Amino acid sequence: MSGILVFAEVDARELRPEFWELVTVARNMSATIGGGIAVAIIGADLESATREAACAGADALHVIEDDRLAAPWPEAHAAALIQLCGELAPQLILVPRTILGAEAAARLAVRGGWPLVQDAMQLEVTPEGGLLAVRPVSGGAVAATVRANAGPWVVVPRPRAFAPAQSGETAETAPVRHVFAPPPFATSCGTRTRIEVEGISVDRAKVVVSGGGGLGGPEPFALLREVADLLGGAVGASRVAVDSGWVQQAQQVGLTGKTIAPDLYIAVGISGAIQHLVGCSSSQVIVAVNSDPAAPIFRIANYGVIGDWKEVMTAFRDTLAARSHQAGRAA
Amino acid sequence: MRAIVCLKQVIDPLTPATSLVLDAQGKKIRVGASSPPVINGFDEQGLEAALRLREALGGLEIICLAAGDRFNNDVMRRALALGADQLVLVQDPSLDTWNSYPIASTLAAAIRQLGGTDLVICGRQGSDWDNGLVPYILAEQLAMPILTLAKRVTVTDGRRVEIERVLADGSVIMDAPLPAVVTVTSELGALRLPTVAARLTAARKQPRQLALADLGVAAAAASAPEVIDLAIPVTGRSCTFIEASAGPGAGARLAETLLQAGVVRLGGEH
Repeated sequence: MSGILVFAEVDARELRPEFWELVTVARNMSATIGGGIAVAIIGADLESATREAACAGADALHVIEDDRLAAPWPEAHAAALIQLCGELAPQLILVPRTILGAEAAARLAVRGGWPLVQDAMQLEVTPEGGLLAVRPVSGGAVAATVRANAGPWVVVPRPRAFAPAQSGETAETAPVRHVFAPPPFATSCGTRTRIEVEGISVDRAKVVVSGGGGLGGPEPFALLREVADLLGGAVGASRVAVDSGWVQQAQQVGLTGKTIAPDLYIAVGISGAIQHLVGCSSSQVIVAVNSDPAAPIFRIANYGVIGDWKEVMTAFRDTLAARSHQAGRAA
Repeated sequence: MRAIVCLKQVIDPLTPATSLVLDAQGKKIRVGASSPPVINGFDEQGLEAALRLREALGGLEIICLAAGDRFNNDVMRRALALGADQLVLVQDPSLDTWNSYPIASTLAAAIRQLGGTDLVICGRQGSDWDNGLVPYILAEQLAMPILTLAKRVTVTDGRRVEIERVLADGSVIMDAPLPAVVTVTSELGALRLPTVAARLTAARKQPRQLALADLGVAAAAASAPEVIDLAIPVTGRSCTFIEASAGPGAGARLAETLLQAGVVRLGGEH
């Protein structure tokens, strides 16, 4: 049992970008886990994704390409991953925290009886050969340090907790092909429907401007929309705002809404209940505007303004608009 | 036909993060007595899925099952007020644990003790530890297929369960033969409210208690990580407060600060 296996998820023929964050984790961990880094690339129609993954500087590239892996069918993808783990016997398996990845990780861990660490923000191997990880719990309000003794370890790194690795210039790792030999499937996977979202959806936007109960009604969301438009972003909301009927459910960020990790998250009039923090605490930069200095949202914010949201956000919009106008004229 | 809905009692996620208290000794997260627990939100949606199935099928026995420590009966009995035929609780101090295996093994043993089921419905994850592992362990131990992240659950011809599974950019239809485990997600919609009449009827029903010792739960061979430390805050971020004499000044200064730090870029620079 040795080495690190990175699960490279492919969605609609494209290598998912989380892969490069996993490569960073693998490189960090390879100093203490011998046996090199292998990449597992699983799916159908993998030509361009394989070429891309071959630039990651891994020691080996294992490919399972099969038509049954064209759909995001968790049982099939997990079976392919389980098969490769059986053949390669890695010590550490890294899987992206995506809808498909998180499920493949859970199925793999349960099948192998191996310890699973979800949402890992920090990872290290202890001198005794155990795995130590830090991960958020209770919606990110608390950090838990967990220890797993015997491996193999299945780890799902937290999105954005690790910087993406740089891709190499050339495809230097030659792919090794494996024939997919799954056990009989218990589930079946049918047609996939894609939803076209109008404008930018909160889970894809690089900037999200969210409003909460502190706004007091639906009207103030127009101001947030103006700010979001200036920044090329989307408007989000807390559960209170959605439950009050001020905005649509699709905009909800949090435990019962979406979990997002934009570059910039601006929380306006949101106090920061666990319910909400779970959905936004992976954002790269968090700005909180709230009149209550004791609001928990400030605990996870990088920038905070204590004050009346209307005054603050109106001036914020005006300043951005003026700068945008200047920039437009200069260009 | 029978559905068993697994419920977990958790800290109310609307609790402000600032009121959490860490029990360093026991590696537990606590809140004051003024904040009553709730049924895990995703599990409530599991109950809603079962109630909708009962309406669609014109009959379905619904048993709500929970394994945990120190249940708040008023909170858990909400399941009865909403129409569950039975509420079954396995209460034991050892079940207040981060480890998914003892909980799942207990639920699996209780399901067997209750005579099995056609469908097990779980929420996608607990809002406390967020391991999301119990449904998979249940499926493994009960030797049932598992379908996850359902926003719609239907039973076709009494033999198969079909779900609409949520994806990041849409959904996909999946199905499996019964008996099966299904997990539901928030897109399914919130749990309905109990009627006054149902509430009154439920007030006379008592939860059924199963003793852990009587279930013959086998110790799981699987290895799970243990929690060795809990800490607040999680992020290590330190908040830079933008100071100004009044709101408008602070708003303008916030914009300048973010522009200068390169956090904010304007018009088409993305």
